[in-house]
Amino acid sequence: MSAVGAEGLAGGYRAGTDALWDVSFSAGPGEVVAVLAPNGGGKSTLLRALLGELPYRRGTVELAGAAAYVPQTERARLDFPLGALDVALMGAYARTPWYRRLARADRAAAAAALERVGLAERAGERFGALSGGQRQRVLIARALVQDAPVLLLDEPLSGVDAASAESIEALFGELRAEGRTLLVATHDVCQARAWDQVLCLNGGQVAYGPPAQALSSEVLQRTYGAELVLLGEGGAAVSVSHHGHAH
Amino acid sequence: MRAAALSAVLDAFSAPYMQRALVEVALLAVLAGTLGTWIVLRRLAFFTHSIGTAAFPGLVVAGPWGIAPQLGALGAALGFAAARERLARSGRSDPDVATGLLLVAALALGAVLASDVYPSGAGVDRLLFGTLIGLTPGDLALTAAATAAVLVVDAAGRRSWLATGFDAGSAPALGVRSAAADRFLLLAVAAAVVVALDAVGALLVVVVLVVPAATVRLLANDLRALRLGTAGLALAEGVAAIWLADGLDLGPGPVLGVLGGAVFALVALLRGARG
Repeated sequence: MSAVGAEGLAGGYRAGTDALWDVSFSAGPGEVVAVLAPNGGGKSTLLRALLGELPYRRGTVELAGAAAYVPQTERARLDFPLGALDVALMGAYARTPWYRRLARADRAAAAAALERVGLAERAGERFGALSGGQRQRVLIARALVQDAPVLLLDEPLSGVDAASAESIEALFGELRAEGRTLLVATHDVCQARAWDQVLCLNGGQVAYGPPAQALSSEVLQRTYGAELVLLGEGGAAVSVSHHGHAH
Repeated sequence: MRAAALSAVLDAFSAPYMQRALVEVALLAVLAGTLGTWIVLRRLAFFTHSIGTAAFPGLVVAGPWGIAPQLGALGAALGFAAARERLARSGRSDPDVATGLLLVAALALGAVLASDVYPSGAGVDRLLFGTLIGLTPGDLALTAAATAAVLVVDAAGRRSWLATGFDAGSAPALGVRSAAADRFLLLAVAAAVVVALDAVGALLVVVVLVVPAATVRLLANDLRALRLGTAGLALAEGVAAIWLADGLDLGPGPVLGVLGGAVFALVALLRGARG
C-alpha cells in the first residue's frame, strides 16, 4: 500500500514551462525517502506538487490523508511577534473552526511536540530569536501537531547545528517506527544512503529505489552534473559542490 | 492643586461635542488595536494611507451629489482598490508603483473637483484633516457598527492572517485559505479607513490606524501585548489630542498627527539608545 506516490507527475509555475517532469514513485508507510537534486532541480517543486499547490500540474498524486509540510526556515518572517509555542500551535489551525478557540488538547499537543524536538524550555521564546537549527525543530514540531501520516520536509538538515541535526535524525527514526512516511529533500548524499529510498531528480526523474541500487556514480553524475565531485576508489564517496559547501 | 487640574480637564470634556469626540476616539482605539496590528505586521501601511487618500474625491462629490460622505468615500476607495488590484495583477507594474500612481491621481482628482467643479472652500481642510470635535451621533453609530464588524472579521481571519504573514508559502499546507482571508483583511481596512475619515480626514487616517501600532511594535514581542498596547496608546493619544486641540484652539486631527509622530520618534530614540 502506498502512503505517498506519483505517476507521470509533471508541472511548473508557468503554463508551458515544466520545472518537473516524468516523476513516478511510490513509498509505503514507515519509509523515509531522500529527494536528491541539484539547485533548481525540482526538490521544492515536487513537494509543492504533492501538496497540490503547483499552479500547473499533470499526472497523478497519491497521498494517504493530508500531508504536513516543513518548509525551509528562511522563508518565515523572523520579525513576527510569535513564540515557539505559537508557531507549533499553527499545526492545529486546520482542525479548528474559525469561530472556536484553539482547544486545550491542541495546546497540550503543541507543548508535547516541542518537548519531543527538545525545545520544551524554549516554548515561550520568540521564534526569530532562536538559532537556525532550533527554528527548524519548531517547524517540525508544528508538523507533528498536524499529526499527518505523511511529512514533506524541505531541506530540514541544511545549515542546522550538530545538536539540532542529531535531534532531527533521531526524530526521523521515531516517526518511521510510528509508520509515518517522510519525504526529505536533502543535499546530503551520505545521509541519503542511510534511508529507505532515494528519489534522484534533475528536473526529470533520474532514479528511484533503495540507496544501494539507486545511488550509482552514473545516477549521481546525471543528477548533479558539474556540481558532483567523485572521491575515493570507484566513486564510493561523493562531494556535491553547492553554495560553497561540500557534503 | 491636583484637584483643580483634574477639574479643569474634566470640565474640558463636559461639552457634548467633546464627549462624542471621546467616544469616537475610544472606538477608533479598538480599530487601531485590532486592525492596526495587522496593518503593521502585514506591511499594509502604504495601502492604508492610499485608501484614505483615494477616498478624497468621493468625499468631495458626496455633498453636491446628495449622498452620505461615507458612501462616497467607500465608493472611491473600492474603485481605487479594484484598479490597484487590476494593475498589480497585470504584471505591468509593481504593486507599490501602482498604489503610488493611483494615490497621486486620486489626490489630484479630489483637488480639481474641490477647487474647480464643486467649490468647497474651507471644507477641503475638513475633508483632508477631519473634524474630531464636529461629529454627529450618526457618525458614532457608523464607527461603532464598523468596529463590531471588524471584531467579527478579526476573530474569523486572525489565524489565517497570522499564518500567511508568518510564511505565505507554507500557509496552505496548514489548511489556511490565504487569498480569501486576505481579501477580507483589505476590505476590513477599507471599512476602518472610511469610518475614520470624519474624525481624522483623508490624509491622517494612518495617524490612527498605523502610527500607534508601529510605535508599540518597537517594544512588544507578542501579539497580545501588541494589540492591547496599540489600543491603549491610540486611546491615550486621542484623548490628549482632543484636550490639547480644545485648549490651544487647533484642529484635533493635526494635533493627533504631531503627537503620534512625536511619541513614535521618542520611543524609537529611546529604544535605539538602549541598543
